[in-house]
Amino acid sequence: MVCACKEKTEKSSLPKLGTAAIDFNFQDLRGQTWSLDKVRGKVVLLRFWADWCPYCRYEMPVIDKYYRKLNKEGFLVLAVNVKQSAEVALAFTAQLDITFPVPLDPDGKIARRYGVYAIPTNFLIDRQGVIREILIGEVFREEAVLRDLLKDYFKFERRGEEK
Amino acid sequence: MALQKFFQRVKFISKIIPTLLAVLIFLSSLGIGGPEKPDGETLRYKGQLLSIRRDPLTRAPLIIRGIESNLLELKNFSKLSRKEITHTGPLLVSKYQPLLQIGPDQLKLKGAEKISDTWYVSYWQTFQGVIIYESSLGYSIDLRGRIKSLGALLFPHVQAPVTSKVNHDEALKIGQSQIKDFKKLKCILLAESILIYPVKKKSSIDYYRVYAFNFFPQEALHPASVVGGWAVFIDTQTGKRVLYEELLKPLGCCIPEDWVPPKPEEMKPKW
Repeated sequence: MVCACKEKTEKSSLPKLGTAAIDFNFQDLRGQTWSLDKVRGKVVLLRFWADWCPYCRYEMPVIDKYYRKLNKEGFLVLAVNVKQSAEVALAFTAQLDITFPVPLDPDGKIARRYGVYAIPTNFLIDRQGVIREILIGEVFREEAVLRDLLKDYFKFERRGEEK
Repeated sequence: MALQKFFQRVKFISKIIPTLLAVLIFLSSLGIGGPEKPDGETLRYKGQLLSIRRDPLTRAPLIIRGIESNLLELKNFSKLSRKEITHTGPLLVSKYQPLLQIGPDQLKLKGAEKISDTWYVSYWQTFQGVIIYESSLGYSIDLRGRIKSLGALLFPHVQAPVTSKVNHDEALKIGQSQIKDFKKLKCILLAESILIYPVKKKSSIDYYRVYAFNFFPQEALHPASVVGGWAVFIDTQTGKRVLYEELLKPLGCCIPEDWVPPKPEEMKPKW
């Protein structure tokens, strides 16, 4: 599923669905270095955001809820902050009590490599490192959207609860 | 005899070292994705134990957490109106003013939203009523009315001009001239404001009072367009450009079939 911009996405350099996610190295707010290759085997939600974007802000608690639930089962969220300082990103994550890793992309290099032209943009990457979904714009404020997205990868017992 | 005992101990220690290392690695791996540990300093403030992480340059708190107790507990929380909830920021700032180093009258509401029984409230810091770019103070309030921590990006000792020497129209022209093919691209001014723009240097901060403009080409207004815009800040004192930045579009999803371009007041500015 490519949400939002189906008609014109071919104009951008967004990666194609079904292709391998581009690897990169980056540091998160805790100083930990991450690489997509090193997290192969996990289902990764690679997300691009900035604190001034209100659409990005209010999706975060919903995403964090699922990250806390499913992290031990292999769900990883990498929420890349685009073109802001570590202090801005740190204050933001503390305000929303976010627990997932927040990589920094101060010059927007990673965002450009992924063809990101709007925020938030989310890429769902499967356990083999292949891009399965691209979602542009705010989509996760309704919890059901994220849950539906993840149900192919994780078992849910009842609505909103994982097995 | 003593030597034998010594060698036995060395043997024992060398045997358990790999196990200890494995345990250490395992424990450190648990930290990934777990809740933020109290980092930075801990201090007692009016009898309350707090964990504080500070901005290395301004020394203002980036994070304050209550260790043994909450930062604030709101009475009769379930009965509070949205408006009353948006007044909790000044309460919090009043209580921790010596630590935050700003006053409650310096807050301007950025947003307050309730998501799954939790309120998320955030503010900008202002200087003489003018928003400071990228400043923030925010927190969540759980369903019992508890504020356990706050996140902030504050500027305690702002020194900035309080009036503008360059007039608005002049600044706008300068701003427009920064965009190549401004007319050809049919660029539109989608947001503008006067802001205080802090520029961090090695050991100090320069504060500019700026005209902040967000320009977008007409084509960019369609959410499906991959074209972005620009943020241009013009110094109100000299008329010089102090920030020029390509802008990503903030986008609410999805595109309805009867989509029409947003009005300028509906666009979300970058500040």
